[in-house]
Amino acid sequence: MPAYIRPIGVLKSYIGGKPEAAVEAGRTLREAITELGIPVEIVAMVLVNDNQQPKDYVLQEGDVARLIMVVGGG
Amino acid sequence: MRLYAENSRCSGCRACLVACSLNIFTENNPKKAALSIISHFPAPGTFEVKVCTQCGECAQVCPTGAIKQNAKGAYHVDFSECNLCEACVPVCPEGVMYVRTELANTSWKCDLCGDCVAVCGTNVLRIGEIETVSAAAAA
Amino acid sequence: MNGYGGSILRVNLSTGKITKEPTPLEMVRDFIGGRGFGAYLLYKEVPKGADPLGPENKLFISSGPLSGLMIPGAGKCDFTCKSPLTGGYASSSLGGLFTAEIKYAGLDSIILEGVSPRPVYLFIDNDMIELRDASRLWGRNTFAVEKELKEKLGEEFQIACIGPGGENGVLFAHVNHDYGRQAGRGGVGAVMGSKKVKAIAVHGTKSIHVADVTGYRQAGLTLFKACKDSEGLKPWQDYGTTIVVSWCDEVGALPTRNFSAGSFEGGKTLYGPYMREQIVITDKGCFGCPSPCGKYSRMKRYNTNVEGPEYETIGMLGSNLGIADIQDVAQANLLCDDWGIDTISAGGVIAWAMECYQKGILTKQDTGGLELNFGNVEATFNLIEKIAKREGFGALLAEGVKKAAKKIGKGSEKFAIQVKGLEQSAYATHNATAMLISYMTCDVGAHHNRAWAITYDLQVGRDRVVPEKVARVIWLQNFRPMFDVLGACRLQWVELGIDRDLYVPALEAVTGMRRTWEDLEKVGERIWNLTRLYWAREHEGFGREWDMPAPRFYEEPPKTGVTAGQITKFEDVNKLLDMYYEQRGWSSNGLPNPETLSRLGLSALAA
Repeated sequence: MPAYIRPIGVLKSYIGGKPEAAVEAGRTLREAITELGIPVEIVAMVLVNDNQQPKDYVLQEGDVARLIMVVGGG
Repeated sequence: MRLYAENSRCSGCRACLVACSLNIFTENNPKKAALSIISHFPAPGTFEVKVCTQCGECAQVCPTGAIKQNAKGAYHVDFSECNLCEACVPVCPEGVMYVRTELANTSWKCDLCGDCVAVCGTNVLRIGEIETVSAAAAA
Repeated sequence: MNGYGGSILRVNLSTGKITKEPTPLEMVRDFIGGRGFGAYLLYKEVPKGADPLGPENKLFISSGPLSGLMIPGAGKCDFTCKSPLTGGYASSSLGGLFTAEIKYAGLDSIILEGVSPRPVYLFIDNDMIELRDASRLWGRNTFAVEKELKEKLGEEFQIACIGPGGENGVLFAHVNHDYGRQAGRGGVGAVMGSKKVKAIAVHGTKSIHVADVTGYRQAGLTLFKACKDSEGLKPWQDYGTTIVVSWCDEVGALPTRNFSAGSFEGGKTLYGPYMREQIVITDKGCFGCPSPCGKYSRMKRYNTNVEGPEYETIGMLGSNLGIADIQDVAQANLLCDDWGIDTISAGGVIAWAMECYQKGILTKQDTGGLELNFGNVEATFNLIEKIAKREGFGALLAEGVKKAAKKIGKGSEKFAIQVKGLEQSAYATHNATAMLISYMTCDVGAHHNRAWAITYDLQVGRDRVVPEKVARVIWLQNFRPMFDVLGACRLQWVELGIDRDLYVPALEAVTGMRRTWEDLEKVGERIWNLTRLYWAREHEGFGREWDMPAPRFYEEPPKTGVTAGQITKFEDVNKLLDMYYEQRGWSSNGLPNPETLSRLGLSALAA
């Protein structure tokens, strides 16, 4: 069973505008995000099942990870 | 149908008040809105929203029949028939029957237009069926 | 005049005379409102060489044409004056409900001029306007003052007040409102205090007229819908500006121990989600805001509440002081708010003092017994109060980091992290060249909010020194502050990513004047150049030297954290500045060329 990456807002453009992409579980958020072609540095925060996780968190099966972009700051 | 407010989500922004006065009076003036935001600051640090529950008490006591039901079934004030007797004000259980003669020469109240819901960014407000006591108890 | 309050209130505190003038059409045409009014009036009315804390300085408080209307974030008020901290241009933006109320009172700007012989507060209730005795309020903290005035005058009154910090002329004293919003930077509170104005209490019940009610209602509802439909809305509502704490830590932008590094080993207990879980009780919004970023918090450890802390305060009073616990940062935030001093500048000057202590430049004897080690929470709390009271060691720090470092010397000037005398806000720029030039050229000193360019740095290569970066910063500087001119918040565009063109029909329906963003950015460019001229007028020999960053950012690569070993080369600092001046149409010393001034219609004013 895969894990799911949901880029929020403008980040969707990196995966062809789709709301969600399935990725293999067992890899880190950083690896999964990079694999999808999303620049890791502009992902401000990742909420995995609504809890913030660092980018070296290892994705479990069924995890849903929302990627929030740093848009424009303060 | 009536307005419902979830206090815990209110941020005190008052967008609802401007939307409301714009609807009722075609004016930008939150003091002429038909709902109220009460701030409890600096402590405990929360907001309270008072909305019309469409209970109809105001209509019952109005001596001129100025408070009528519109097409949505919502009670509202017909400005041309209000004589400013203020009988409606104390009977309103939520304190949302408004008379401020320095602002308008009529009373006013919520007519369930829904614009407040449209501008509330934190989903405090919604319009729903009037729940009777038994229906609420059963739920 | 559609969309506007209609009048400018002029309060002469020396004579007690209060007058109203109709808001001039040319001012509306060329400077639109808010910050634009402030910049124009400052240049025109405050004479060259005025003592910022003397009778010739003026405090200009302005709402904008969108303030108080059914427009997302219609709650921003500009406070402009000559800065006692920098001697140059100060403009600070106050959120909350104040700007709306001055519009409902029929006002666009309030001008405070002269000096009152005794403490007063300005009372405005529609057309009843008077100066009232504030002797019983003087000396008291901001929360108590606001509470008392609201109880005495009525809940509908909006209060902006200073604390002991402003009364005592702390050069970075601020103005407080709505238990948690501030006109924070540049010492606007000290100017208000120097005039002996303790508070402004305003109440208005007039309606704001717009040119096209149907069009305005439609445009407003469309803007609100765009905000509510934005996918970024929920996370922004949950975390507000704290959404970037973890990211800044990750990319080496979180100021740590006086900007000696960009990531903090104690950072995790400062992150947004942790903060929300630990202390946040209410998401609190400014006027008309669908995306409330204010986080009203309860600190159980201290049995206190505060609105905050925001990202900036978390950076400057948290990681920058080596303090890791969000409750302690929140309490430090509260102390600054209540005593009436800017959290950003306070963090900047206290961090400097801590580094002096660490290096033995200051000893316990100098600090009045305070052990100013990084991470010392109690000493920080103690020092905030001392600064506000100008007591003991606090009196030195109350001067701001640039003057304090000049007094102490012994090499401490090298790590006074400031530009033009304003303490740098919370982005470490050892290796982020767009953000660096942004801080160097910001019109009030080292503040981040004109051109927040650090994502751009990360997107295109943080160490690259290319014209595109400079062009980006200039565009942001011309564009973002226009929200301050319109009297509305920029964060709906910035954070929710709504289409900025949605504001165009709204503005036109409100004012009856059509302006595209191209038109607005030209006004932005005009204001930018005018305030540059202001700096040049007030500082002999103003130019390139004043745009230099703190040496830390080209001499001292961090020893720890994500950006360890990274630094910007000094030649690149100059290269960035050269490109900036060229693109701005300024001389190689950073002064606007005559052609630039002419193009922007500033030649007459500048003459």
